Amino acid sequence: MAAEREIQLISEKFREFYAKGRIETPREMERREFGFIPFGAKAMFRHLSFSTPEDLRLYLVKNTPAHVYYSSAYYENPEAEMERKGWLGADLIFDIDADHIETPCKAEHDRWRCKGCGLEGRGETPESCPRCGGISFEEEKWICNRCLDAARHEAQKLLDILIGDFGFSPIDELEVSFTGHRGYHIHVSSPNIRELDQPARREIVDYILGTGIKAELHGFKPSLERLTTGEGGWRDRLIKALYDYLEEADLKALMEAGLSRATASKILEIKDRLLQILWDGRPSLALRLIRRRTLDKLVEAAVEREASAIDTVVTTDLHRLIRLPGTLHGKTGLIAQRVSVEILDDYDPLVEAVAFKGGMLKVYVERAPRFSIGGVLYGPYIGEEVELPMEAALYLLCKGAARLAG
Amino acid sequence: MIGVLEAKYPFLDRAVEMVGVLGLRVEELVGFGDVVDRGFERVSEAILRGVVSYRGENPEVEMLSFPVALMFVSLIGDPFLDRRYALAEGKRAYRLLREEAEEVIAEVAESFNWNIRLRRAILDGQLYSFELHFADYLRNASGFHEDKWKLVNRVMRNGYVLLTKAEAARLLECEVENLILQRVSRHRRIELPGELEKRVEMLKKLLEEHRGQIGGETLPERVDVEAFPPCIRRIFEAVLAGRKASHMERFALVSFLLNAGMSIEETAELFTSISDFDPEMTRYQVEHIAGLRGSRTKYKPPNCDTLRTHGICQNPDNLCRRVRNPITYYIIKARRGRRRRGKTS
Ligand code: SF4
Ligand SMILES: [Zn+2]
Ligand SMILES: [Zn+2]
Repeated sequence: MAAEREIQLISEKFREFYAKGRIETPREMERREFGFIPFGAKAMFRHLSFSTPEDLRLYLVKNTPAHVYYSSAYYENPEAEMERKGWLGADLIFDIDADHIETPCKAEHDRWRCKGCGLEGRGETPESCPRCGGISFEEEKWICNRCLDAARHEAQKLLDILIGDFGFSPIDELEVSFTGHRGYHIHVSSPNIRELDQPARREIVDYILGTGIKAELHGFKPSLERLTTGEGGWRDRLIKALYDYLEEADLKALMEAGLSRATASKILEIKDRLLQILWDGRPSLALRLIRRRTLDKLVEAAVEREASAIDTVVTTDLHRLIRLPGTLHGKTGLIAQRVSVEILDDYDPLVEAVAFKGGMLKVYVERAPRFSIGGVLYGPYIGEEVELPMEAALYLLCKGAARLAG
Repeated sequence: MIGVLEAKYPFLDRAVEMVGVLGLRVEELVGFGDVVDRGFERVSEAILRGVVSYRGENPEVEMLSFPVALMFVSLIGDPFLDRRYALAEGKRAYRLLREEAEEVIAEVAESFNWNIRLRRAILDGQLYSFELHFADYLRNASGFHEDKWKLVNRVMRNGYVLLTKAEAARLLECEVENLILQRVSRHRRIELPGELEKRVEMLKKLLEEHRGQIGGETLPERVDVEAFPPCIRRIFEAVLAGRKASHMERFALVSFLLNAGMSIEETAELFTSISDFDPEMTRYQVEHIAGLRGSRTKYKPPNCDTLRTHGICQNPDNLCRRVRNPITYYIIKARRGRRRRGKTS
C-alpha cells in the first residue's frame, strides 16, 4: 500500500474523478447496502445506504474511498445489522477472475514471498510454502492482456449459457462490467430470479460449471438408437464438448483425465470412430467401444474444458457486496466499467478503463514487470526513477509498486 | 356447483372461495357430521399412512373437509404433525394429478403462478408434455437429490425446462405441501364446541402413539475420526498439517466438528495450534458457527451438494452415495465401526 504522500495524491485524483462525473447507480439503489474501504485501511465501512445518485456522489467526493461496493441483495432496511435487514431478494452475480484461470503468463508477472522464511517464487501462489510449510504470503499480482483475454473468453462462454439456456435478455437483464483489476462481473437482474434461495442458486452454479452432469441422462444409454439433438442446453453442448475434447486430446491429456496408459492408447486408436459416432449422434455405439467408467472420465474432462470458470462462492452468497460499476479500483486506478454485451468482443479494458489522462509524473519504481496502459507499453523497471504519463504513474502508485520521486 | 376439480384439489383458489361463500362457522360444523368425520379421517390418514386418500363419492364433503382438517392440525399446534399432514396432502395431490389430462395439470400449475406452457416433444423415446420456466422449476426441484432433477441434467432452452406429466405432478406436490405447511403452521387458539374438541383430543392421542416410530439416529459418544467422511477428513488433515484451508473448507470442518460433538474449546484449539491463526479471531468464528454469537443459529454442516458445488467433495466413497450430509455419513460409519469393534472384542 502506498504511503501517506502517495495516498494524498491518489485521493486528490480520485476526488477530481468523482467531482466531475455523474455516478452510475444500481437499480433500486435505496434498497441496497453500500460499503467502502478507505485507502490504507483493511476493514470495510458497511451498512450504509443512499437514496439518490447525488448523495452517493457527494459521499465519494468527500471521502474518496479506495473501493466502493454495493449489495447484490435488496433489503427493507439496508442500514440495519445483518439479522434485521429484511432480505427481499438479490440479483444473480457471477465473478470471473483471472486469478482462478490458469494462464501461462502468470509465471512472468506474478510473484509471491513466504512471510515465514522469505522464500520467493513466480506464478501462482502455492497453498503452503514448499520450504517451511508456512501459509501466509505477500503477493504481487499484475494485470496483463493475456490474463484479461482469458477472463473475457470465460465471460463470453458464460453469457452464451445465460442467454441461450437461461433465456436472459442481453439488453434488459444482463450487465457486464470490467472489475478494474483482473476480471469481469456479470450481473443478472430480473424479477424471475430475485427471490431464488441458496439451493436454487447452487443449481444454477452447477449448471454453469457442469457439476453433477450425468451422460446417461443426456442420451448416453446403451439402449438408445439415436440421440435427439437440437434441443440446446447441455445435451447439445455435451456432444460438442466431447467431440472437441477428443479431437485435440493426446496421450498426456487423456492420462491427466484419469485414464490408465493402456486405456488412453486404446482411445487414441479408435479416436476417429468415436468422433464419427458423436458426429452422427449415436452415443449408444460409443458404449460398445468403451466402458462406462471411461466415458464418465472423458465427459468430466470435456465438461470442465467447456464450462465457464465462475467463482462458486460469489454466486451462491445471498448477501454479497460487489464492486460498484463506474467507480475506481483503488489498487489500479482503473474504472470498474460497464461494458455492453455487444461490444465485449472488442473491449480493451487497459485502454477504455483508464481514468486519469494528461500530465506527467516522476516516480521511483521499486519493481514492475512489463505492463501496458492506455495502449502504451512500459517497463520493466527495477529500482529506478522514471517520468511517466499520469495514467501509468498512478497505476504504479495504486499498486504500491512506486513512490513519488524526490 | 361443486365439481370434481374442487373436490380433488381443495387448495385451489376457486375451492377456497366456495368454502368462503358457504360461510360455515365453527359452531355450525357440528351439524355436518360427514364433513367433520372426513376432516378427522384426513388427519388420521396422514398420521397413520403418510398419505391422504381421495373420496370422490361426495365432492362436497371432500372439499369442505379440507379446511376442517387444516383447522384440526393447526389447533393441535405440533410442528411434526404440520409437516406430516402437509406431506400427506401433497402426496394425495400428486397421485391425482399424475392421472390428469395436461390441461388440468396446467390449470393447477397456473393457480400457483407457474410460468408453464404445453409443449409436446419426444426425446430419446420419452414423451414430454410441458415446458416450465427454470425459476419455478428450481423453487421446487432444488430440494430433490436424484441426478435426474439436477438442472444440469435437464433439457433447457431459452429459460424453459422440458417436463413429463409425472414430473410436473411431482413438482406440484411440493407446492401443495408448502402451501399447506404455511397455512397450518399459523397456530391459532379458538374455542371449539365440545364435539370438535373431542376430535382434537383423539387426534393428539393418535399422534403420540405413532410419533415414536420415526426415531432419530444417534451420534457416537466420543468424536471418532475414523468415521469422518472423505471430504472432512481431507480438510481435517490439511489443517493439522498447517496447510491453508479456504473459508468454505473451514466452515465445513468447524460446523462438522461441532455437530459431531466436539467442544468449542477443542475445535478452536485445533486451529490455534497453527501459528498463523489469530486465537481471538478463531474463537470468535467458532463461537459464531456454534450459534453463541451473531444470528444465534447453530450451523449444520453444508449438505453434500453444496460441498460438491464448491469443489470440497473429493473422492466420495460408496457410503457417500447414500447420504446427503457429511454428518449422516459420520453417524452411519461410526455405528458400523462400533458394531465391528463390538464383535471382535
Ligand atoms: S459425498 Fe458428502 S460426505 Fe461424501 S465426500 Fe462428498 S461431501 Fe463428503
Ligand atoms: Zn516459507
Ligand atoms: Zn497474464
